[in-house]
Amino acid sequence: MSVIGVALATAFVIAVGATTMRYTTVIREMNVLFSGQIMVTSSKAVVIQAIPIGGSMLPQDYTVRLIQNVTGVERIVPVLFVTPMSLTGIIQPVPVNFTMGIPVGEWGAVIGPTPLKGGVGHFPTNESGIEVVVGASLADQCNWTVDATVPFGSQNLTVAGILDTKLGLLNRCILMPLKLTQKMYNYPGSVNIIAVKPVAGILHKNLTEAIEEKVDYVQALTEEERNDMVQPVLAQVEAWDVGVQTVVLAMSMIQVMAVSAMSVSERRRDFATLDAIGAPLNYVVRIVISESALIGVLGGLLGICLGSIASLVMASLYTSIPLTLFFPSIFDIVPPFYMAEAFAAVVFVCCLGGLLPALSATRMRIAEVLRAEY
Amino acid sequence: MRIKAVELTRRFHVGPSEIVAVNSVSSEVEESKLTVIVGPSGSGKSTLLNLIGLNDYPTSGRMLIDDVDASKLPGHKRRRIRLKRMGFVFQTFNLLPTLSALENVEMPMALVGMSQKEQREKASKLLNDVGLVSRSSHRPKELSMGEMQRVAIARALANDPEVIVADEPTGELDSGTAKEIIALLSEINRKERTTVIVATHDEKVVEVADKMYTIQDGRLKEGT
Repeated sequence: MSVIGVALATAFVIAVGATTMRYTTVIREMNVLFSGQIMVTSSKAVVIQAIPIGGSMLPQDYTVRLIQNVTGVERIVPVLFVTPMSLTGIIQPVPVNFTMGIPVGEWGAVIGPTPLKGGVGHFPTNESGIEVVVGASLADQCNWTVDATVPFGSQNLTVAGILDTKLGLLNRCILMPLKLTQKMYNYPGSVNIIAVKPVAGILHKNLTEAIEEKVDYVQALTEEERNDMVQPVLAQVEAWDVGVQTVVLAMSMIQVMAVSAMSVSERRRDFATLDAIGAPLNYVVRIVISESALIGVLGGLLGICLGSIASLVMASLYTSIPLTLFFPSIFDIVPPFYMAEAFAAVVFVCCLGGLLPALSATRMRIAEVLRAEY
Repeated sequence: MRIKAVELTRRFHVGPSEIVAVNSVSSEVEESKLTVIVGPSGSGKSTLLNLIGLNDYPTSGRMLIDDVDASKLPGHKRRRIRLKRMGFVFQTFNLLPTLSALENVEMPMALVGMSQKEQREKASKLLNDVGLVSRSSHRPKELSMGEMQRVAIARALANDPEVIVADEPTGELDSGTAKEIIALLSEINRKERTTVIVATHDEKVVEVADKMYTIQDGRLKEGT
């Protein structure tokens, strides 16, 4: 029973921890998209790293023209970022598929030097064409291959390439020419992000102030500001995560302590006998601690298996992506180092739980215990 | 090993009253002899044996082991004496229930760091000596009471002790088995020249004793 208790606690730690870690990592990675650039969005939008939520659309040509006139701007890339609810029409707890419309030829400015899987295919070349590049996870889920024709809304698109990336966001992304995105999502002439590359040597903060002064309906954020906005939230989420895990581990420790104390109490005579024949104290301590550690090892191993499965199920439920597609990437969802950390933590708290009962086993008065048993 | 009690007293507090279980006992255990302490139930036999076996501390007086006051020794040194120089036989055998007969006998040897091979060889020999080699792999609950006491005696002999302290070793046994156990202890005393101290109220043990003490209300006197 105690092994099952510890296993459930470990499973909880793994599932909650891995899921939290997964999403915080995805959010942290987002900033990679506009690395070193200033991001301009509607002043009413809430920005999480590189993703604007809410706010109004920006008139593309007018806004680009205004920003171009600001001193210190080297290059401007307008982007339309859209989060469709789901490919299958199922409403998901968190958005997992994204569309990014980027002007042809500006791919690198947004996603960096991301290669295509197997070097096969190409990035779209025609602004009004129907070619798109998709993330590998999305391609796997939908069985899309290079040159496949994909019905998307009222349009048939052609997969020109599959992105070879570890970034969660890009893995679930459809990259298409900006004009095609505007047409498909019915935002003609509008964008919601304008990426601004400052000229070398200019203070980014000065440039954002200048942009906001020139264009009064936008907010301009440096990479540092975007990080600063989200870091406290992520830190708080992680602190809560650690707090919950600590409480669960503490409960495991109390459980192991109770079980060990009961076990020691039931074997008072055995420990008194060992004491009587001269067993060193550390031998008695070792017996009790190793029993607690064994509970930790068995519970930990079982818990890691259960927790990993739970993490996959949760990932599948959150995203509506079939569970089978997650199995090959189980070590991405629950990284081996996290499994090892959780295992070590569980074994440690179990040993700690056995410590007090172990000490009590060494403090028996032999004569009294043996007499009481007669 | 020279064992000497000097004005040894052990008091217990039970509620508001005080019980003097061992009262100013002064005596010396003769080496290589089989000493028997007889007395009725509650007379203080077991308490005296616990003091001699360093399993308890006196309230006052001194328990001298080779002229050193053992009650002032730190715990680990008392354990070391119990482990290496003494062997214990209890009324209720006190075998570890999860271990086989052989493993129970090996236990004290393991505690002194003997190699596994040596432990196995010696434990098998000891079980052979007490006539139980065929029951080596049996756990205590699969043995009769007489067999359990034999295993306990083999365990007591594991580290070649200088003294065997036996508290009511025949208390749980029928008369036939008790006789065998007494004979075994007597044989060990004669063959190995091991000092044996037995607390009992069994008249048959008295017959093999080299020296006999009587204890009554915590006071020890020589003879009957």
